[in-house]
Amino acid sequence: MTPPSRPLLQGTLDLLVLRTLAWGPRHGYAIARWIEETTHDVLRVEEGSLYPALYRMQKKGWIRSDWGESELGKPIRIYSLTVKGRAELRAQSAHWDAVVAAMAKVLRPA
Amino acid sequence: MPRQLLRTRLRSLFWRRSPEQEVDDELAQHLALTARRLEQAGLSPEAARAAALQRFGDLNQVRAECRVLAHEYEDDMRRRETFQELRQDASYGLRVLRRTPLFTTIALLTLAIGIGASTAIFSVVHAVLLRALPYREADRTVVIWNGYTQAGGRSHTAIAPPEFADVREQTQVFDAVAAVGRQTANLTGSCGGSSACEPERVAGYAVSPDLFRLLGTASPVVGRGFVDGDGAEGAEPVVLLSHALWMRRFAGDSSLVGRTIDVSGRLRTVIGVMPPEVRFPDAPLDFLRERGDLWIPHAWERNRSEERGNQYLGMIARLRPRASLAQAQRDLEAIGARFRAEWPDRYARADLRWGLDAFPLREHMIGEARSAILVVAGAVGLLLLLACANVAHLTLARGTVRQRELAVRTALGARRGRLVRQLLTESVLLALGGSVLGLLTAVVGVRLLVVLDPGNIPHLDTARVDGVVLLFTLGVALAAGLLIGLLPAMRQSQVRPSERLQDGARGAATGHPRRRLRSVLVVAEVAMALVILVGAGLLARSFIALQRVDTGFDSRDVLTVQLALPRARYDSASKIVAFHARVREQLATIPGVAAVGGADPLPMSGSGWSGSMYVEDLRVPPEQAEQHAEYAVALPGYFRAMGIPLLEGRDFTDADRRGAPLTVIVDERLAAKYWPGQSAIGKRINPNRAQGTWATIVGVVKHVYNAGPRQEGEPQIYVSFLEHIQHPLTYVLRTGGDPLSVVRAVRRAIASVDPELPVARMATMADLESRALARDRFNALVLSVFALTALVLAAIGLYGVMAYLVNQRTAEIGVRLALGGRPYDVVRLVIGEGMAMALTGIVLGVAVSLALSNVLAGLLYGVAPIDPLTYTAIAAVLALVALLASAIPARRAARVDPVAAHR
Repeated sequence: MTPPSRPLLQGTLDLLVLRTLAWGPRHGYAIARWIEETTHDVLRVEEGSLYPALYRMQKKGWIRSDWGESELGKPIRIYSLTVKGRAELRAQSAHWDAVVAAMAKVLRPA
Repeated sequence: MPRQLLRTRLRSLFWRRSPEQEVDDELAQHLALTARRLEQAGLSPEAARAAALQRFGDLNQVRAECRVLAHEYEDDMRRRETFQELRQDASYGLRVLRRTPLFTTIALLTLAIGIGASTAIFSVVHAVLLRALPYREADRTVVIWNGYTQAGGRSHTAIAPPEFADVREQTQVFDAVAAVGRQTANLTGSCGGSSACEPERVAGYAVSPDLFRLLGTASPVVGRGFVDGDGAEGAEPVVLLSHALWMRRFAGDSSLVGRTIDVSGRLRTVIGVMPPEVRFPDAPLDFLRERGDLWIPHAWERNRSEERGNQYLGMIARLRPRASLAQAQRDLEAIGARFRAEWPDRYARADLRWGLDAFPLREHMIGEARSAILVVAGAVGLLLLLACANVAHLTLARGTVRQRELAVRTALGARRGRLVRQLLTESVLLALGGSVLGLLTAVVGVRLLVVLDPGNIPHLDTARVDGVVLLFTLGVALAAGLLIGLLPAMRQSQVRPSERLQDGARGAATGHPRRRLRSVLVVAEVAMALVILVGAGLLARSFIALQRVDTGFDSRDVLTVQLALPRARYDSASKIVAFHARVREQLATIPGVAAVGGADPLPMSGSGWSGSMYVEDLRVPPEQAEQHAEYAVALPGYFRAMGIPLLEGRDFTDADRRGAPLTVIVDERLAAKYWPGQSAIGKRINPNRAQGTWATIVGVVKHVYNAGPRQEGEPQIYVSFLEHIQHPLTYVLRTGGDPLSVVRAVRRAIASVDPELPVARMATMADLESRALARDRFNALVLSVFALTALVLAAIGLYGVMAYLVNQRTAEIGVRLALGGRPYDVVRLVIGEGMAMALTGIVLGVAVSLALSNVLAGLLYGVAPIDPLTYTAIAAVLALVALLASAIPARRAARVDPVAAHR
């Protein structure tokens, strides 16, 4: 069975999606798969919650969508990072690093 | 972002699926892809599908959430797109306008004139007609007069105190009734500071203490208003000041409240200062003409024992909530019926049809000004339309140049709506630019209008360019922009690009519909210009006619000085007589003064007296024995000083005083009315109706237009001042030269007799006369300025179109010339076309003017609203201007070089 999944921290999903798209455009299913594989299922994304997040980020202008063809030969939305999204990714990563460093200091004092 | 837009556009172009549909598809694909993977891992299709669904979570909730988000995103995109297009259109439009500086400048100036003039006039309309009176209850307040039907229609006279008291007691419909009388108000003594001030006469009114409560006036800015009991018998004498007087004379000193000031020789405690906008009566209410400076409370019902012939009050009444004017009139009719029953000889004369007439306060205050302002507003509206038409012409002409550009854009797939919007954006930009310039014009224009204030347009002095006016201007600019852009836009976006491109390539547009549109515009312009010109022409003629009226006196070189002796110090006839004897003596010695006289009321001063009299041995039915005439008192020498010709008999002398046999002087009309064909000298009339006081006519003078050149007035009777002694009197001095050169000497002379007496009201007779014509001058002047502008605009429009037509037909003209046509024929052809349009416009304009003629009728004097001379002259002027406007392009056409035209 799959290991017990841990709930995602607030805002983590956005960061994950941005990070994923930084490698190149892909559709929603591919994003979900990529997150699942690279985090080795530690961070299990409830797949359904991915889509509202995508729509929200599109509205914020971080990502945009174009129409492409899926592996099933049907038109599908392909998401990609905008300039604004790239900047957002940088800002969020930096923030994340800072939080992680701080937490590390607290949890494992040298 | 533009790429994004393009994508959105393409997508909606190719798929045209709803956002909901797209959401469903996307989620379905996700599930299908997941299921496929699981199947490949060995699950059965059913199990794979179930597992995919399970991994996905709550499908319905996600779908709902996504749909909302997708919708919001779509809306966002659409808004952004529109805004983006608008910005593109605007910046593109600005570039286009910059590329054609001449067009832009002319269009801007034309619009600035049109929008500026409308803004200026609107700020006046707003100040006078639209802004509320400073009285909350104005809409249910009425003014009540005694009404009589006479030969010239219904006329109105003031109310006597007992009439007021009766109405106040007996009314069933009014919840408050107040009376207003004029009050002499000479201010002497301190202005609040320690040093004494110049004595001054101001506009004072004695009012029922509940007047301001009745009107719903805001409370005083300082102190208190009147309360019941103010103005009662034995009450403390108090006074309310206007804000203007308080600021001017007392420097806005709030410690003035509670102190006393000297009003016409009586010390009165200042209890308060009214708000600045309250100057009751704010506009002339019949004989209550001047804006109020101070108000004294007086319970007029105390005077109920006075004669019913002493009619000197205005009556203001407030309708009960939800009561109508018709109800009020019925109520007054019921009260009138009681009057008739009790005093039949005064109220029941069949031929006079006496009655109490009520009028809404607002209508009454604005009535005089309303028609004038509406005429001016109408003219300015036409002017604005003219300006728009002209700019539309220019835009059309430029459209020819832009055909290719637009054709290219159409060929590249621009939607028609988008092109229309582009063109409209340009014309709205133009109009907005024009309105900025127009606002500057308006600010200056409003100042000019305020300076021209004819004095009887209420609140004109408060006209200014404020927020409401700015909003109006913005609205006008947008409307003008759409109006200007719409016609050319529709026209240009209709034609197929292939035609346009070919047309442009050949350089010869045939475009018949466009030419027709232009002709329609020109015809309309000429017609509108004619309407304005006719209005201005009629008003100008009427003004000239008014100036030519022989008013019966000679106003040149005459100075008038109004004096009102305070009752407190001049409490006996002998004191008054002694004062005037000394003043006359002093004035006569001033070098340059040729004649000294005095009278009250003075012609053109805004006040007048009229009353009943009996004529001895007049053979008429007894109920018509009471005759009506205008009255004035006069000092010896008045007729000579005023230049009123003495036709027969003699002037008054110092012997015509109290105790001597009663004498009167009448005018030619009275003499001719009662003693036609014989001399009136020696005949007797009874002017004040007391039993047996017959006065002998000793002189006959020329008739005088007392109320201004518009009103002939009634037959007149002059009574000797020395016999009928009263407090106010206006001195009249005929001078050898400029009457203003003796002003200082006159002041000194009066001060030498009584230094406390204010002599504020000095005016030349010429001034008074011109003031009586101020409204007519105002109308004529404003409309003339508009009319000239309209003429110029129409001429420019006509010229522009003719020049354009000639340009378009260069080739055709060249052919004609090459085939042996004479230049003369070409000139005739072009001029003929121009004149055909102009004449159509003239005919149309005449028809419209005739239809509108009764709007002007009330403003005209001595000229019919359908005056043929004015119409003919204006039509001729317009035709001439049209001829000139088409002659220039015609000459150019005649010089077309046939070879060059076909190269």
